Amino acid sequence: MSELPSFELIRAASVSDVAAARRGHLDCRLLAGGTDLIANLRRGIGGPTALVDITGLPGMRDIAAEPDGIRIGAGVTLARLIEDPLIRCRFPALADAAATVAGPAHRTSATIGGNLCLDTRCVFYNESEWWRKSNEFCLKHRGTVCHVAPTGNRCHAAYSGDIAPVLLVLGASVELAGDGGTRWIALDELFREDGAAHLALGADEVLLSVRLPVEPGLLAGYEKARFRGAIDFPLAGVAVSLRQADGMLTVLRIALTGTNSRPLLVSDCEALIGRPLDASALRQIDRLVQKQAAPMRTTIIPAHYRRRVASALACRLAARLFAEA
Amino acid sequence: MTGQREPAVGRRLPLIDGIEKVSGRAIYTADLPAHALVGRILRSPYSHAELLGVETDAARALPGVIAVITGADCDKTFGVLPITMDEYPLARERLRYRGEPVAAVAAVDEETAERALALIQLKVRELPAYYSAAAARAPDAVRLHDKRAGNVLREVHDEFGDTAAGFACADLVREARFRYAEVAHGQIEPHAALAEYDAERERLTLHSVTQVPYYVHLMLAHCLDIEESRIRVVKPFIGGGFGARVEPLNFEIIAALLARAARGTVRLNLSREETFLTHRGRPETGIHLKLGMTRDGRLTAAACDTVQRGGAYSSYGIVTILYGGALLHGIYDIPAVKYDGCRVFTNTPPCGAMRGHGSVDARHAFESLLDTMAAELGLDPFAVRRANLLTTPTKTANGIVVNSYGLPECLDRVQNASGWRQRKGRLPPGRGLGMACSHYVSGAASPIHRTGEPHAVVELRLDFDGGITILSGAADIGQGSSTVLVQTVAEIVGVDLGRLRVISADSAVTPKDNGSYSSRVTFMVGNAAIDAAEKLRDLLLAAAARRLASRADLIERVGERFRVSGAEGPGLTFREVAAAALAEGGSITVKGTFTVPIEYQGGKHRGGAVGATMAFSYAAQVVEVEIDPDTGMVRVEKVWVAHDCGRAINPLAVEGQVQGSVWMGMAQALGEETRYEDGLPLHASLLGYPIPTIVESPPIEVHIVECLDPNGPFGAKEASEGSLAGFLPAVTNAVADAIGLRMTELPITPDRILEALARKRRERRIAAARETVA
Repeated sequence: MSELPSFELIRAASVSDVAAARRGHLDCRLLAGGTDLIANLRRGIGGPTALVDITGLPGMRDIAAEPDGIRIGAGVTLARLIEDPLIRCRFPALADAAATVAGPAHRTSATIGGNLCLDTRCVFYNESEWWRKSNEFCLKHRGTVCHVAPTGNRCHAAYSGDIAPVLLVLGASVELAGDGGTRWIALDELFREDGAAHLALGADEVLLSVRLPVEPGLLAGYEKARFRGAIDFPLAGVAVSLRQADGMLTVLRIALTGTNSRPLLVSDCEALIGRPLDASALRQIDRLVQKQAAPMRTTIIPAHYRRRVASALACRLAARLFAEA
Repeated sequence: MTGQREPAVGRRLPLIDGIEKVSGRAIYTADLPAHALVGRILRSPYSHAELLGVETDAARALPGVIAVITGADCDKTFGVLPITMDEYPLARERLRYRGEPVAAVAAVDEETAERALALIQLKVRELPAYYSAAAARAPDAVRLHDKRAGNVLREVHDEFGDTAAGFACADLVREARFRYAEVAHGQIEPHAALAEYDAERERLTLHSVTQVPYYVHLMLAHCLDIEESRIRVVKPFIGGGFGARVEPLNFEIIAALLARAARGTVRLNLSREETFLTHRGRPETGIHLKLGMTRDGRLTAAACDTVQRGGAYSSYGIVTILYGGALLHGIYDIPAVKYDGCRVFTNTPPCGAMRGHGSVDARHAFESLLDTMAAELGLDPFAVRRANLLTTPTKTANGIVVNSYGLPECLDRVQNASGWRQRKGRLPPGRGLGMACSHYVSGAASPIHRTGEPHAVVELRLDFDGGITILSGAADIGQGSSTVLVQTVAEIVGVDLGRLRVISADSAVTPKDNGSYSSRVTFMVGNAAIDAAEKLRDLLLAAAARRLASRADLIERVGERFRVSGAEGPGLTFREVAAAALAEGGSITVKGTFTVPIEYQGGKHRGGAVGATMAFSYAAQVVEVEIDPDTGMVRVEKVWVAHDCGRAINPLAVEGQVQGSVWMGMAQALGEETRYEDGLPLHASLLGYPIPTIVESPPIEVHIVECLDPNGPFGAKEASEGSLAGFLPAVTNAVADAIGLRMTELPITPDRILEALARKRRERRIAAARETVA
């Protein structure tokens, strides 16, 4: 990694400041904790003339209890998510997932919003300028070919945030502010299956907060396969939430990270509702995950391992939560 | 103070430079204050190409660019071994790996330097590139080096004893193939050099991260074509070596060439990626091993075939491929050993020496097959090793003298400490115990340059202040060599540690030393320090005798006091004795030397110098693992390791070095691996190259075994490498114990474990189906 390129740092105090900065610097990037962005800039990926610090926007650092849930400012750090009593009490799975991100030093500056908006990752992309140039760049940045799937026409870089899957299975929605005011969308709608453009954010929009509804009786958890017990991005990450009544599943949601270009809410889990989580149900979960997870050759560890471990962790986590429920 | 001093040797003394390091005060090469230009290197984007031209006019014209250099600026090749100096500091005529330096710039700042690099154009004709030893050895492959037919650097064919007869009389003969990934050192400090060129006086000073300042000095003089006397090489604090820096490296020479071209000072700090590209780590290796054994576990013969993918240049390649055979000897009593080795050139960064140089992969193969065969014969892993112990003193089949051999005690210690007898075979599912042995040289007995000079020199200086300055060329790279010197001199001269200071690795003031490699420093420099310290002690005793009107042999020392044996009175203080000694002729400098006697310099066969040493360290270890069958993750629960280092001059430092060795072995066994995509590294970052974190680090219980060597300083042998190689087979033996899988491809990453488990299930199904049909 080289030294940072020169840029102007703009501290935004309001959403309109962000808009103004964007008008003044069309190539500017939003900055929160910077743990993802700065590393990429130091690799020569992008050279924005300005970075807009959004952590000073109103409410960005707040965690607020609401009658039917909780609202978390996008600038809340992961370290705080882990420690916050309200989060630990109502959504321990979120605190657990935050604790799996990178290392302690990263988590003191990394934010929940930044983790949700984490850039997709690929061995052909997170490399130095010399490396990417020697390889004629790639579809995600400055090139025309995706080296992961050269015959295809899209980028397969993998989404690798650890927070999104838990928020997905907890039914989170996110608040976006743009020129036309603010809007709330389901978190699932924030993402697209395209490694080069995985965020469905408008060019004028900024992520302000996350809202989590309280669902009584819902249990959730997050399991992360990674090579080392710290630092590493997920080879595959799985969040599960479920509820049961009389030994039968009444809610089951599964979400994946590290396997696709977006965090993936596994579909067709409804088929298991009203059934016990027995061996045949676990086999079905295994099939659902194996079918929908679509890891590609974006990591050093082979893709088939990531698919297998995703389903293994999904089954294990579901079984554990069902036993606890 | 009265009474005996606490002995300095054997004391658990914290490393004397530890305070600077843990407090952040240590000044590393990249931190050195200097008003310096920024140097940057343009690296080849091609794996293999003829270099037809390097166009630098635009870069030179850029304001702020002070110097641009290319291969045209240096027509000398360099290399650590005089017989294989095949590398240009900046490529000429041929590019042989992606990342090879082609040009370099010195500019007023980094941004300008980067812009200048982007303006340099290369004109090339691409050639076929080879990323595996097999591809490079194909009959129609283009030669990387014109003189190297078949892209082979060196073939070795040695046989000691009659292996055919040995296999013929064995009750059990087994063979197996193994594959080892290339690994890198992963030292935390990236490469850096600071070159100051005094244009008026034509003098060069280079500060660098090197383990071998003297070899760097020689190659600077050679490549810059200036006399050694005009060069000064200094090694500041260094953030890890592990063999990455045991040879002159291209960036050091480039920094010097740039400084001369710029007529000033140039700082060349390499990125993590560039540090990985400079490489010189352990090569990708294929091993085919065959062992013969009697029913009671006695080895009858061994045959080992090794192929190493060496990368684009020779580096230490000849030594590495020879070590692979030589270090099959010296640990067990094997009647016949055959070794076939082949070191191959490929279009990847050059491989070189790395901690455990030459011994590690072969040791894994050997100890794995030994376990497999023991199991087949119903023998305990400890028993099969005990059945093959050496009787010392002895001379190995390849001509190496072994005087001290603590392996039997190492075996006892770890077997007891780990509860092997009670626990082996009784652990819960997914858990396993494995063990293995290893050894390593205490210094290569033959120097690389046969100049006739002593192999090590230490000087001691005593002056009016009563302080003793130890002058040594030995590079302390964190292994604690300076601390060992202080303890050694304090012990012999009989002074408090506080009187001593070390000045090391600065060619302007310290005597030449060959450097910190092959675990030679404690043994050789330690012996030289004893020699020097004895001379100083004798001078002091003589001075004391004069002052006390007695004879030197009647002078006894209590603490720092000198007095006539049996006499009353306080005697003399150290300061009084020093003053008496200085009165004779002013400041005192004494010199001690050490040279390995010729009978220890190895067998007479070709390549016999490699592997020869005056003493081997020995180690045994037991590793306990737990394997997650869902994820394939191998977790190391605990390691018990016993290391025979002879006298532990500093047990605290020994424990640290042994833990470091085990840990580095763990890193190679479990996950570290370089991977290239058409010659581009996929691993060249600390995310891509998964050095374990403290989270994965198991408790490592170190047992020091002190089997004193008659030639070692105070009986000491090496402590920093010998425990590495044993970890790899111990952990795969533990995996075999836990889940019945014999892993022959390292590292045993979770995907390889899951794949092996799936393969085993398939084989079982097929076997079951066959039975049903039958």
